[in-house]
Amino acid sequence: MSEIAIAAEGFVKRYTRHEAVRGLDLQVRRGELYGLIGPDGAGKSSFMKAVAGVLAYEAGRLTVFGHSIDSERSAEAIKGRLGLMPQGLGQNLYGDLSIEENIDFFARLRLVPRDEAAERKERLLRMTRLDAFRDRPMKKLSGGMKQKLGLVCTLIHAPELIVLDEPTTGVDPVSRRDFWSILAELIAEQGLTALVSTAYMDEASRFSRMSLMHEGRVLAEGTPDDILGRAPGTIVECEASPQVEAMKRLGARFEQVEAMGTTLRLFVPESDEASARSEVKAALEGCEIGSLETHEPELEDVFVALLGKETGEASADTPRPQALDAESASSEPAHSTGEGVDPQQRLAEDGSVATERDQPAYAIEAQGLTKRFGDFVAVGDVSFRVRPGEIFGLLGANGAGKTTAIKMLTGILPPSGGEGRVAGADMRRAGSLIKTRIGYMSQAFSLYLDLTVVENIRLYAGLYGLSRSERDQRLAWIIDMAGLHGHETDLAATLPMGLRQRLALGCALVHRPRVLFLDEPTSGVDPLGRRAFWEILFRLSRVDGVAMLVTTHYMSEAEHCDHLALMFAGKVVADASPAEMKRQVTEEAGALYEVAADQAASLVRPLREAGFASVSPYGRKLHVLTREPEKLSEVLKNAGAAARVTPRAMAMEDVFVHKVSQLEAENRKESA
Amino acid sequence: MNDTRLWWMLALRRFSVMLSKELKQLSRDRVLLLFILYAFTVDIFLAASGVTLSLNNAATLVQDADRTAASRELLGRFREPYFRITGEALHDRAALAALDRGDAMVVLSVPDGLGRKLETGEPVQVAMQVDTTNSVLGFLATSHAQEIITRFGLESALARMGLGGGASANLPAVENEVRVWFNPNQEDSWFMGISEMLNIATVFAVLLPAAAMVREKERGTVEQLVVSPLTPFGILFPKVVSMTGVILVGVAISLFVVLIPLFSIPVKGSLGLFFLVSALYVFTTAGLGLFAATIAHNLAQAGMLSILIIAPMLFLSGAWTPPEAMPEWLRGLMLVSPLHYYLDIAFGVLLKGQGFAELLPSIAGMTSIGLLVFGGGLVLFRRQFD
Repeated sequence: MSEIAIAAEGFVKRYTRHEAVRGLDLQVRRGELYGLIGPDGAGKSSFMKAVAGVLAYEAGRLTVFGHSIDSERSAEAIKGRLGLMPQGLGQNLYGDLSIEENIDFFARLRLVPRDEAAERKERLLRMTRLDAFRDRPMKKLSGGMKQKLGLVCTLIHAPELIVLDEPTTGVDPVSRRDFWSILAELIAEQGLTALVSTAYMDEASRFSRMSLMHEGRVLAEGTPDDILGRAPGTIVECEASPQVEAMKRLGARFEQVEAMGTTLRLFVPESDEASARSEVKAALEGCEIGSLETHEPELEDVFVALLGKETGEASADTPRPQALDAESASSEPAHSTGEGVDPQQRLAEDGSVATERDQPAYAIEAQGLTKRFGDFVAVGDVSFRVRPGEIFGLLGANGAGKTTAIKMLTGILPPSGGEGRVAGADMRRAGSLIKTRIGYMSQAFSLYLDLTVVENIRLYAGLYGLSRSERDQRLAWIIDMAGLHGHETDLAATLPMGLRQRLALGCALVHRPRVLFLDEPTSGVDPLGRRAFWEILFRLSRVDGVAMLVTTHYMSEAEHCDHLALMFAGKVVADASPAEMKRQVTEEAGALYEVAADQAASLVRPLREAGFASVSPYGRKLHVLTREPEKLSEVLKNAGAAARVTPRAMAMEDVFVHKVSQLEAENRKESA
Repeated sequence: MNDTRLWWMLALRRFSVMLSKELKQLSRDRVLLLFILYAFTVDIFLAASGVTLSLNNAATLVQDADRTAASRELLGRFREPYFRITGEALHDRAALAALDRGDAMVVLSVPDGLGRKLETGEPVQVAMQVDTTNSVLGFLATSHAQEIITRFGLESALARMGLGGGASANLPAVENEVRVWFNPNQEDSWFMGISEMLNIATVFAVLLPAAAMVREKERGTVEQLVVSPLTPFGILFPKVVSMTGVILVGVAISLFVVLIPLFSIPVKGSLGLFFLVSALYVFTTAGLGLFAATIAHNLAQAGMLSILIIAPMLFLSGAWTPPEAMPEWLRGLMLVSPLHYYLDIAFGVLLKGQGFAELLPSIAGMTSIGLLVFGGGLVLFRRQFD
């Protein structure tokens, strides 16, 4: 038997209008968990479908288990030995069938002998902890459960190779970790080979080897550590004031600079900690530097750095911040310099001017906001406040109630209880004057896809009553800001996701709102696009003093916010700044340590038994929260494992997982 | 009153951008445009030229057991345009089989001895079997046949009494002198063409606003509109106005491109009045589309709901059955179908040349029901945002 499960050489997939994969070379060994990481449109799905034998390709060679996949017939020969789970939550399942019926259907479809199927079904249901819900229809499952069921159905005929296309997209972090650990367990137990794609860069450490993909090409290939080594450098996080000035200076000198709440985060290439520190200090000469910390770069930094090397320039459609400066300078001289912006200056175009007295202390206020749909409580007693000029993040999984909360605040849905106030007014009863103060960018960037870029902008300008000259001025600004030059007469439907997202933002900003609601503004957008987007939001909040409520399920994005509310099952379970949240968790459960070992997954149980409450698998490593690192090393030594324990900086994901597991434990205790 | 002026200016600006948005969206939906064009031209052409309510060339089989001059004379009278003799059935079974297969609609059997009995003055019967699957055509075939045979019997009787030729003119008889008004040649194409045009206008009046609204719901764009300073009425009014405009253009195309040049439909009354009433009708009927859009979650549901709404409207319109022929309880329902009034008005204006004064009751009826429908649709539509 050959060692190689999948081999591709010069693989090319062409669609009528574009080349999806341009010469891909890779080898997947048996028993590997191989990752394809890259944003939407990188060519992951096309390649995976070709491997599964359901998509023809144009050039190159592709062999699976030694069979060349070049025709329908040859693909047929290996189809019994592999399983494919397509992209999308529950996409290959039947919504009206129960968990058990779905599994039975796939077992019969694959002609699995009855006894064998029954035995395997029980084992898989137990492993995925779906056995308690076997009669529940698929459509009523949560996103994480749907994906676990999809995995079970893919595995019911005991394939040797499974191909999973973005199985964790849109799933909450706790379920995501759960999914990965189940997958790791299966691979270890059954000698499976898995080809898995993901758009989350932070999931990379879970793969044995991987390819980092962008626009149909491989940027880097190897183990996660190999790839991290491709772009050596140091991440510096510092607090400096004035923040906008510091950002401008750093931006002039370094390629990758991001604002994360009150701190700035930048990548200093080809440098160790000490030299990075001194470089940054030199760049910030004259600014007041608060704190300054250094870290190792993460995969996303490496991705952006590699992409930068490859293309020379960051990306054609990435807007440069200068565009915003230009606007501020030309039309808003008062706002371009300082942070203290009078939010009342830009008011409704209705012509009336509100007085200072109208200005409330909070831009957005939710007090006991509740929404019930029948018996189901979508949002339960949620309260929070957002100050003018603040970026407030509502963080939670799909179905946690984020969108419902936003809809109640913007007046789209009436609350069942409590009150939401925006700019001091209840949006349900607010007149058009108040409505011109807020902007809203809904989920999936609901633009008119059959209108062009310019027509979309003009439509919203008209709706908000802008005059012709104002409209043209804003139009130019939006085209600049969103980097839409050359796309003015394109239909919105033809734009790539990143551009579509920024066009939607532009439309939401056309009337210069004081308060901005953004519902999952970055889902489906690549890291470069996401960074550019957050840079725009940062400027809007700091320079123009716009208050923002942002929802996201990307945990890594939460760090961009000044303040966070963590939502779980319709409730706010934590409400603080990101740093504060991490501090609280450290106080409650200790610092974060990473355990690296050969068979890390097998160490979970002995560690839990030894009293470590917060142990979760993280790729091939473990993340443990503890106050007693010495005891941790000791227990590991006693367990006979050659493990390496290193302290790590806590990420938002660790905070979320900790909070939610804590809550789930409490719920279990209550119901018991 | 600067404020009021400003308010109106903004409202007008919002209305105009929404209106142009709707028209642009529609103009980019090629499939829908083609469908609209097809419905207002080809479909109406087919309805006007193909569908007829009279008996034409009914396939007739004869069975002549008599084979005399009299029997040949009788059978010879079954001829075009009503009947067409397609052959002779040699056997009863063959005749029945032809009826079963649908090869013949009428089978006429002349018994042995017809000629002889006529001469001796004995009463005599001929047998006619008719396929009345289509009850209207069956009825027409029977009555035409009845007439032919009665006349033949009368003439035979007169001939036997020695009164040949034009003798029948001297008999005391009541003649029915008919004057046909409004459609002198009694062309079915006029009636069918116009009523199909009105039906199509009704279908689109319900379907187009429903589709336009549901598309926004599906895509999520309606939320952007709700958050903007637009009121629910401000969202919906430009949609209904633009769709009304499109349908009126369609009606104009079918009138000026199909019905008037190809079928010589006379426009006796005022075209202005006709289009005014049509605008009012289409606009108010859009309320039913809003109703469908409020309930439906996606385009497919909206389409099916619209069919459910449109079907009874067409049945109760009086286009297919005059109100007098309906059972009493259904006649009451007809009074609430706006299409019923619209049909009356349209035929009145186009064929009868009626003016506003004559049509006032119908216009009043249509307007009041239309306003109720539109108001209801509007209230329902607004409620989904509360």
